[in-house]
Amino acid sequence: MSMKDTNSNIPLKLFLYLIAFTILAPLVILVLWTFTSRWPWPNLFPTSFSLRALEEVFAPYANLLPTLVSSILLSLTVALLSAIVGTMTARALVFYDFFGKGLIKLLTMAPNIVPGTVFAMGIHVVFIRMSLADTLVGVIIVHLIYTLPYSINIMRDLTSSIGQQMELQAYVLGASPLKSFIYITLPLLAPGVLASMNMAYITSFSQYFLTLLIGGGKIRTLSTLMVPFIAKGDRSIGSAYALIFVLSTLTIFIVMDRVIKRLSFRNKEENL
Amino acid sequence: MNFKRLSSILAIIIALLLIVGCSSQTPETPATEVPNETPSEANAESQEFDPNADFDTLVEQAKGSTVTFYGWGGDEDRNRWLNETVAPILKEKYDISLDVVGMNIDEILAKLSGEKQAGLEEGSIDIIWINGENFYSTKENDLLFGPFTDKLPNTKKYIDVNDKEVLYDFGYPIENYEAPYGKAQMVFINDSGVTDETPKNTDELLEYAKKYEGKVTYPALPDFTGSAFVRTLIYDIVGYEQFMDMQPDKAVVKEAIEPALEYLRELNKYLWNQGKTFPATSGEVDNMFQDGELVMTMSYEPYSVAKGIEKGIYNNSVRTFLFDKGTVGNTNYMAIAKNAPNKAGSMVAINEIISAEVQASQFEELRTLPVVSYDKLSSEEKARFDRVDLGQGVLPQDELLSKRLPEMPANLVPIIEEIWAEEVVGK
Repeated sequence: MSMKDTNSNIPLKLFLYLIAFTILAPLVILVLWTFTSRWPWPNLFPTSFSLRALEEVFAPYANLLPTLVSSILLSLTVALLSAIVGTMTARALVFYDFFGKGLIKLLTMAPNIVPGTVFAMGIHVVFIRMSLADTLVGVIIVHLIYTLPYSINIMRDLTSSIGQQMELQAYVLGASPLKSFIYITLPLLAPGVLASMNMAYITSFSQYFLTLLIGGGKIRTLSTLMVPFIAKGDRSIGSAYALIFVLSTLTIFIVMDRVIKRLSFRNKEENL
Repeated sequence: MNFKRLSSILAIIIALLLIVGCSSQTPETPATEVPNETPSEANAESQEFDPNADFDTLVEQAKGSTVTFYGWGGDEDRNRWLNETVAPILKEKYDISLDVVGMNIDEILAKLSGEKQAGLEEGSIDIIWINGENFYSTKENDLLFGPFTDKLPNTKKYIDVNDKEVLYDFGYPIENYEAPYGKAQMVFINDSGVTDETPKNTDELLEYAKKYEGKVTYPALPDFTGSAFVRTLIYDIVGYEQFMDMQPDKAVVKEAIEPALEYLRELNKYLWNQGKTFPATSGEVDNMFQDGELVMTMSYEPYSVAKGIEKGIYNNSVRTFLFDKGTVGNTNYMAIAKNAPNKAGSMVAINEIISAEVQASQFEELRTLPVVSYDKLSSEEKARFDRVDLGQGVLPQDELLSKRLPEMPANLVPIIEEIWAEEVVGK
């Protein structure tokens, strides 16, 4: 219904194309810059091309592929944990009353309010004392602290809009809490879980300073490889890394989307 | 019911973690024994470690260990050189594995001071690539191990220990806490296909900026290159000698550089965007030069033009030039962290990096000016340095060194950066 309206509305259509253009044009420029060696003004296209950036990025000493794989696994772990903790916290905040609820609601936003560097320096000292600095677990926890505000807030809105009615219905019909959660609540929450996982993944995947400080250089991610080149202003190598960043993230998002949709769909079918 | 309890507990745990994260004064038991990824034999080694031991003993202790080398990771050529030239040499000669970790100096300092605050006796950083203000602050804050360079055989063999740049880093006494790594010098760069002139002093630079109005600028301070560029202009106008023992007092410094400030304000009128704003980084200035938006750029790497031409980033007609009175040059160094897990290995690795062989390969592959004293080299070693093909558009080593001015004391640098921000930008 609304699709039809969109199609017949020319200004809106133009607007959509404009949005698509503003998203896609930078990507095209990334591809161009990856292969460009010189692109002086006022030429419309680069004057000379080279494979330098790709050679550097894929050179054996740069360790790109192992770093990329471990980076993806790290961020997927963070995304999954973030979605689990986020879903549970959201339920607690929406359905139950307990002491200090308002404070906890506020505190879920705290990592995004305190400036990143200040936060990182403080937690670094704490993590050293807890022997979490320079470890993978430490990096996962510190990423979680940054991703949880997003996950909790996405899940909180969805949880409160879905409500508890369906679950109660299942209880009335004799389902156990676990069953009703798996067959009723989770499928209903699936879009939110997906959104919060995506958000958590991208937040974790792009952490630079925190990863470097808490990981102590021992935990290497795509961001810790990429950022120095962007900071230095090497547009070719920067673009090559950015392209790998975008493509790998896009692939992961598509896979996550498929997996979660399939899971919730299958559950619904079984339920029927 | 279970869910309810579990969710509330989790919510509380999250809240606690957040509180813990925001206060650095949490009374945790100070971790004296920190389970680290370092193998246990490395722990045993560091306990036996004695910096005054015979160098052969250190070599023996370092056998089979790993040395971590922390430094800026944004130079692909240096990353390659460290991993593909230096690491294999260390492996073959001493059975030491070199682990090169790309980390900005600011983050390295943050890590070291955090570790010190937490009382961590064994960290993860061994060697640090460092100089100037950062050396000053780490040494003042007792974050570095030393003195150690006087115990390295190659210091005696290859380094001129009376060289000012071996004794002082930005005017601050080194006292054997860091070993020289490579030499850098400010150079100016333009394209002979675009502009004929190569300004030889600040007056000619002003004329040049007038002629190519809006096409000259420099990186905003405190960018490393921008800051060195401004110091070079200051030296050209008021000389460098007076800064060597100047009090780090803002009023004193400001009075000394007043003629230079006037010059910079005059120069502003003809700069890109009338000097109201400056590009934030030297990378940006360099990109603008490559794109033809600027007619001139500058670099703290004297041979960057040759590398740029080889990579196809610069036109073949791009060239390097200097002021007649010279430009600032500095040495960058390698230091060892006070809580380094492998000090013996670090000393052995640093000793190797200051050898003629590694310095020559650094000169060949990265075209970084070597820190070894030419007079101390054997004739074969001299020949190897002489043979190095420096590439196009650059100046020979002796010309650079003859026009090399010393950096001013490290504690004056932030003062000048502050004065620049107040008195020059947009004025």
